[in-house]
Order: sequence, then C-alpha cells, then structure tokens
Amino acid sequence: MSLLEVDDVKIAYRMPGDDVHAVNGVSFSIDEGDNYGLVGESGCGKSTLAKSVLGLLDDNGEVRRGSVRFDGRDLLDLSEREWQSVRWEDIAYIPQSAMDSLDPVMTVGAQIRQAIRKHRDVSKATANERVAEVFEMVGLDPDRTGNYPHQFSGGMRQRVTIAMALALDPDLLIADEPTTGLDVIVQDKIVDKLIEIQEEIGSSLLLITHDVGVVAETCDETSVLYGGKVMEQGDTDRIFGAPTNPYTIGLKNAFPEVDQFDEQAISIPGSLPDLTREPTGCVFRNRCPFATEECEGSHPALVEVDGRLSACHYTDRADEMRAEAADPATWGIDVRDEGDRTAGVGNAILETRDLEKWFRQPQGILDDLRGVDPDYVKAVNGVDLSVREGEIVGVAGESGCGKSTLAEVIAALQDRTGGEILIEGTPVDELLGEDTKEFRSRVQFIFQDPFDSLNPRQRVRAAVSEPLKIQGHDAETIDRRVRRTVEDVGLRPAEKYLDQLPTQLSGGERQRVAIAQALVLDPTLLICDEPASMLDVSLKANILNILREKADERDIGIVYISHDLASLTQIADRLAVMYLGRIAEVGATEDVVTAPKHPYTASLLAASPKTDPAVDRRRVLLPGEPPNPVDLPGGCNFAPRCPKAEETCRGEEPERSAFADDGHEAACYFPVEDVETELLERYAAAREEEVGEVVEDGPTL
Amino acid sequence: MSFRRFLIKRTVIAALLTLIAVSIIFATLRLLPADPFSALVASGSLTPEEVEQVRAMYGLDDPIYVQYLRYVENLFTFEFGISLTQQRPVGEIIVPALVNTLVLLLPALVVTAILSSLAGMYAGWNRGSWFEQSSIVATTVFRATPIFVTGIFLLIIFSYGLGWLPAFGMRSPLANPQGYVATYASVDFLRHYILPFTATVLFYSGDFLMLARNSVVERKGSEFLMLHRAKGLSEMEQLGRAGRNSLLPLVTYFALRTGMLFQGVITLEVVFAWPGIGRALVQAILNQDYPTVQAAVFIMALAVIVMNLTADLAYAKLDPTVETGDV
Repeated sequence: MSLLEVDDVKIAYRMPGDDVHAVNGVSFSIDEGDNYGLVGESGCGKSTLAKSVLGLLDDNGEVRRGSVRFDGRDLLDLSEREWQSVRWEDIAYIPQSAMDSLDPVMTVGAQIRQAIRKHRDVSKATANERVAEVFEMVGLDPDRTGNYPHQFSGGMRQRVTIAMALALDPDLLIADEPTTGLDVIVQDKIVDKLIEIQEEIGSSLLLITHDVGVVAETCDETSVLYGGKVMEQGDTDRIFGAPTNPYTIGLKNAFPEVDQFDEQAISIPGSLPDLTREPTGCVFRNRCPFATEECEGSHPALVEVDGRLSACHYTDRADEMRAEAADPATWGIDVRDEGDRTAGVGNAILETRDLEKWFRQPQGILDDLRGVDPDYVKAVNGVDLSVREGEIVGVAGESGCGKSTLAEVIAALQDRTGGEILIEGTPVDELLGEDTKEFRSRVQFIFQDPFDSLNPRQRVRAAVSEPLKIQGHDAETIDRRVRRTVEDVGLRPAEKYLDQLPTQLSGGERQRVAIAQALVLDPTLLICDEPASMLDVSLKANILNILREKADERDIGIVYISHDLASLTQIADRLAVMYLGRIAEVGATEDVVTAPKHPYTASLLAASPKTDPAVDRRRVLLPGEPPNPVDLPGGCNFAPRCPKAEETCRGEEPERSAFADDGHEAACYFPVEDVETELLERYAAAREEEVGEVVEDGPTL
Repeated sequence: MSFRRFLIKRTVIAALLTLIAVSIIFATLRLLPADPFSALVASGSLTPEEVEQVRAMYGLDDPIYVQYLRYVENLFTFEFGISLTQQRPVGEIIVPALVNTLVLLLPALVVTAILSSLAGMYAGWNRGSWFEQSSIVATTVFRATPIFVTGIFLLIIFSYGLGWLPAFGMRSPLANPQGYVATYASVDFLRHYILPFTATVLFYSGDFLMLARNSVVERKGSEFLMLHRAKGLSEMEQLGRAGRNSLLPLVTYFALRTGMLFQGVITLEVVFAWPGIGRALVQAILNQDYPTVQAAVFIMALAVIVMNLTADLAYAKLDPTVETGDV
C-alpha cells in the first residue's frame, strides 16, 4: 500500500458566476521514502492539489470527487479537529515564499516550538532542545533561535521553514515551490539539504515546482500537470529523457540549458485553457501544434507508452513529435536567421566608466557632528560596461549584487554617485540638461513586474501613446506609431488590443505592452530588469524572442538584467557577471559560459539545474552567504568564500583585467581551469567536515 | 539601533515638541489684542494707574523674554499661577476637573478598546458572517451619532422613562464626600457613572472595531497564517496569531485617543452635567481667565505628546522590525 494515494480527485473553486475547475480527475500515489514531483506552470492545479492533501483549501474550494488516502485513511472525511492532529504530525508543509511564511512578530524558535508543543506533551525546555537540533540539521546556527524572521536572509528563512517541517519527523513532506525566488546557488544548497535530510529521516517528499530542472534532478517519479489534468506520469528519467506528450515536450524545450547558445528560445504560443467549464476536449489542444479534430472531441485517457503514462491521442507518434517540436516553426515562431547578427561591430551606444552608486547608511546626529565618516553600501562600485548597436549585454548575478541598481542608474532613475555614463558618446548630464525628453527618447526601461508596472486604469492605447504625447508628437503620428509598435511586439491585430485594460490581458500580453511602451519612441538603448521573471516558462521564451528580434532589426542596444542564466545565455551576445557591486567577469557569452575564469562565475554556472535527467551534476555547496555589503572584506570580495583564495586575494583587490583574453576578462588572480576539481569537490569536502560534527547527535524526539 | 538609543532619541524629540507647543501658547496669548485688565479700565472699576500696579504685580511689565523664561519655568514646575476670576490657584480648579474627566473616560476607553478590538478581530476572521455585518452597522451608527444625542437617548430611556438611574451630575446633591476615595468608591457615584460611561463606550467602539476588523482581514490570506494552520493550530489559535499581528494600528490609535482624553468631551459633560475638564475649559475661556486656559492647554498638549511617545515605544516593543529601522 502506498503512503499517499490520490484517486481521481476533482477540485473546483466557487466563484461569482462560474466555478473554476482547477483539478480535473488527477490520480497519483507516493510510496514510502519516495520523492514525487508535481510539475506544471501556474494555474495547472499543482498547488491546489497539495493544499487539498493538507486540508488547506481556501474557503471557496471544494473537492467534488475522488479520494485522498494517507496511510489507508481517507483524509477527505476528517473533521477539522482530526485534521489538526494529522497536520504536521504526519504531513508537514514547506511553503512557497519563505519571505512571507514566517510570523513576523514571533521568534523563529518560538514558531517551531509552537508546532512541537501543539502535538507533543513536552516541556518548553525539551521542545527547545529539539528546536536547536533541527536548526543544526538544516545548517543554521542554533544560537539564533531567538531571532525574528526579518533578521534572516531569504535562503536562511527557507531553512527555518524546513527545520520546522522536520521538527516532528513527519511521514510526508510537501514542499510547494520551496526554492522559487531564491538564487541558484542558494537553491542548490537548499535542495541538497532537503534531499539529504529527507533520506536521513526516511520520509516521503511531494515536491511541487514549475522548474523542470529541479524535478529532473530530485524526483523518482513525476506527474506533469496542465489545466488540472495529468499530461504525463511516471518515472522522471523517462519523462524528461524522452517526453511523449506534446505539452511535456514544449515545457522541456522552453527550459533551455545554460550551455545552449544562440538557439532560438522555443515557447508555447497561446494562453491557458478556460477552466470555468469542465474540459471536454484535450486541455492542451488550443496550444498544441499537433492537435486534430479528435483532440477536440475528448480528453485523451492516460495510456502506457514506453514505461510511463501519457495523455495524448497520438502517443504512437511521440518520436516524430519530439523531432518536429525542436523546430521553432512548429510552434508558429518565425525562424530567425542567426547568421545575420552583427553584434559587437556597430558603434558604442552605452559606455559607463567607473560608475558608482553608493548608498549612505544612516548614522546618529552626534556621529555626523563629530565628522565620523558614514558607512556606505557600495551597490555599484566601479563598473565599466559598454553596449554596441544591435548588441544584447546580459548582466547576471544573485539578488543583492547590485544589478538592478546598475540598471536604474544607467536609466537615470537614480542618481549616480561617481563615474561617467556616455550615451552614443554624449555624457548623460548633457542629455538630461533642462528636461529629460531628449534622454528618455533614447533610453527606455522595461520593469520586472508587468502586473505592477502598467497603470490599471489606462487602456493599451493610452499607455503606449503616453511617451509620444510627452515628446509632443501630433495625433496622427501617435496613432500610426502606436499601431505599428503594438503589432511589432506580437499583439496582432492591434485593434483587438488597443482598447483593452491591463486586467483583461494575460501576463505575457501585459509584458508586451510594457515592451511596446518602451519601443514606441524608437530608443537606441533599452534596459530590461528581469523582464521575464514573473512569467511562466512557456511565455518567457516569447519575450526573449521579441527582444532579440528588435535588437537585430532596429540596431537597438539592450542591457538585459537577470538572475536566470539559461535565458541570458540564450539571448545575450556578451555576458557580465556581478558580485557585490563589481563585475567579476565579462566576455562573449560563449566564452564566459564554456570557460568561466572567475570562481564565482563558475559556481553560478554549475549551480543551474539540468533538465536532462541523464546528466549527473555535482551540486554547488558554496559555503556561507555573500558578506554584509556595508562591511566588505579587504581584497577580493569573493575571497572569504573562495576555495582558491590565497593571501594575495585577501590583500589586494584584483583588477577586472587580472585575467584577459580577447575581450574576455575576469577579476581573478588565479583563474579557474577545472571547475570540478578546483571548486565543487572542495566545496563538498568542506561541507563533509561541517556535517560530520552535526550528524552524531541525531534526533531524539 | 539599540532600544536605549531609540528611547533617548524619541524622548528628546518629545521634549522639543513640548517646548515648541508651550512657546506657541505663550505667543498666541501675547498676540491677543487686549489683556484682561483693559476691560477693568473700560468698565471704570480701575484707574489706569491701578492697572499699571496690577500689571506690575503679575510681572507683565517685564521685558518679554523675562516673562517667557519665567512662564516656561513655572509651567515645567507645574506652577500655573492664580486664576483671574476665581482668586484661587489654577491647579485647584483644573486638577479635580481633570480627575473627574479621566475617571469617566479612561476606563470607558480601555473597556471599549479591549471589547471592540476582540469583537472586530472575530468579525474580520468570520468575514461575511451576520456577526460581522451587524457589528459594523451597530457601531457605525453609534460612531456617527453625536455623543450628546446618544447621551440624551440614554437619559430619556433610563432616567426619565424607567427611572432607574439619576440624570444629572456626579453625585446626588445631598452627598458631600471628602477626598478621592470617598468620592469615587460609592454606590451613589456608580449610579451616576453608568450612563455617561455607556455613552462613551458606544461612541468609541466603532473605531476600534473597524480597525481591528480591517487589519485581521488584511492578515487573513497571508502565508504565515497558512503555515500556522498547516502546523495544526486550531481556529482560535490562528485568530490569536492574526490578532497579535494586527495590534500595531490598535495600539497607536489607543495611545492617540488617550492623549485626547485630556481635553474632555465637552458635549458629554454638558449633557450629563459632569464636572469635567471640558466644561472647566469652556468656562475659563468665556471668562477670559488666561492662566487657567494656559494651564489647561498646556496639559492637553503635554498629554498628546506623551501618549505619542508611548505609542512609538509600544511600537518598538510590539514590532521587532521597528527598532532596526530609523523611525
């Protein structure tokens, strides 16, 4: 008997008007000690399913059919009181956003203790001992149990929630996107810890994520969900090794590997199915390039193909579909001629020289009067960056490295505190001069969140024409250019979109409106701050393609800021990697990715999960966290975490050209030759020593 | 920033504010076109020479900065001077009136803050329930009705109609107790106390109820409550956590309201003939009794400033993130 059996579950949310059928007949089971993955994009019903297993559905959600059996007991029949004893004792939960999941006015120790004492009749002291134990298990300092959540970084908060989940040795852990929002290196460490602990205490894991790479690397079995239906189910290696369902194929294609260069990003066109009616045909048919009339008629049943189950009428054509799906044209994407690229030869559009943005730290009035030098956060510290016509320069780095500040300073959304910015050879101060019109017509910005960056009361036409009005164009020109630009970013025909409000658009469409808003002035430089990070994978590729196209067609220079290395390598001609306000490494994307020279770049690249389950990747267990930006160490910023660091590194900060080879530069005295032996093995060895001490006193509760 | 530094910083700011408030009071009174003695000349009771004498006696012929310094010194040592109309120390007029007001309003405010906040939290937690709907309607009605109207209704029903409770004053005309204990700890006082107390509780209940309800509603969908629920906490325990996280606006509002109690509620005191500070102040203004007005205004300003300080400190204690920020 399996530990958890979900059988033909249907879940609907009651809404004013129509009900939303979020989950439509999903079955799966998890055996003891297994890792099970639920993969899919937002709206596929994966979180709803997880919540139903814990009885945590929102008030308007109800399970309409099927059963959820845990250890032979039907959970759906439980009363609220019975639920309370199952929760945490048997099934623990690791929430999605560790930033908001901890009670802000309660110390983290007290929150874990609360979970323990709710279920076990133990003294406060015993509970505290257990708290210290689980803190050590997840690699947190047990002396910090008295701290409040805001005193921890995002990665550490996620460790706190994992520690909390472990407190009672549950039989099943449900992790709902446990690493979304974390940087890759932190993600790698968290996933590693989670798997290690889970094996140690022998519980099962239900991992819910949109990240194909994470699932491919951690789960034995997987269900791929779409529109509340299982599309493909079975052995993870088989599913992602050779997917047989068009949706799985598309999803996998939309997740590029870090070392796929210049390959055109493949996206799944269209948008999510309307779930206000129970689906009758195949839920994926309106976006599937292989759909026929048969798919219209009925949702295909799961059939066994090649050792796994797949819901498709044409599973016999799987190999053929896989081959065709690799071609962007299959998905209705215009094929681009990659040979046409003229990157890196045109005139320089942007040049920054020793650009600085220091934030002054508040200090007491007395210190001010005494003339004490205030502390600064050096968010951008001496950055030289250049962008040429038609070139996309990627800026990568973890959160807090200063990449967003860099973007905002270049776009004059923040004042710089030092250095120079030249736009087409003219200093920005001259362009900014009396008003910002001249500058804004040349430099435009695309923000991260298309849900916040558009005025909700402004129709598409008004939003896109606003920049032209500010520049003082006449009505006829405005109308013409707005139409052209809106169609240019793929919102065709323009008439259909011009009079819509942002709320009537999908996330991908909104971001295109934001892009249209930026492009309508024909800028020469476009700065994009994580423009695709809020979008689902299948839409992300779309945005990348539009930007690449515009760079090629209009000779625009683009600065593309992101923490997602895979999309950067796909889109960027040159790549700059930032660490704590400085550029650690810069060069042609291919050079940087295939032969990273800076240990930080190498670690970052190695931490990206692989979607191909056949690849056996060693995890990056980079010790520590980035140091406090106020109190930086002398010498190289990365030296305290670097296994190769020597006296020289701690003494003097390396020039960016410490390593230089034909435009590829790295600020490192001892450039990396072999990532595996020089870094990853040493990280792992350092971890072993640390863990050895902890494991001896195992859990006692 | 440590709590001590925070405390010192806030206290210094509060002291400066008090000084500014005091200076404004001083300046305002000197700017008035006439002084209280001119009226005496006009009425023919005093000759101009005598007025000069009186002015000298009160120190009004000294240079303005000497007057200012003496004024500040007196205020901060709580020497409020002699009333112009009643010929007795201002303290003797103001203090008993203030005590009467606080005895009425403070318990009423505390009671309504606790009860209405709890009710509001419960209402917010059970959004859309009949309890939520009816509690909002009821308290809004009392909030929107002027307090003297509620007071008059209470009087009509319970004093004149049912005859259960006395209608006027703080004690029966015949009682003449001495000292605070004898005044306030008696059945007679309690019978006079119930109606104005009820009117006040009803009046303030809406604010706390809505504040508590809104902040619980805001918390309700939050991730951390979901995690508390996943941990197996019962409904009431979850509500407890939501309530704890909603305390900030309530505490702030409570502190500010308390500061304003020192002004009394004039209409309430008039309707119930309650000898409080509000009535005393109105009388003093009508009589142009400047020392009394000055002292009363000073006490009000001080109370608001001190309660603001208290709110800031409570904030820092209740919200662990406040101390680190530079509020």
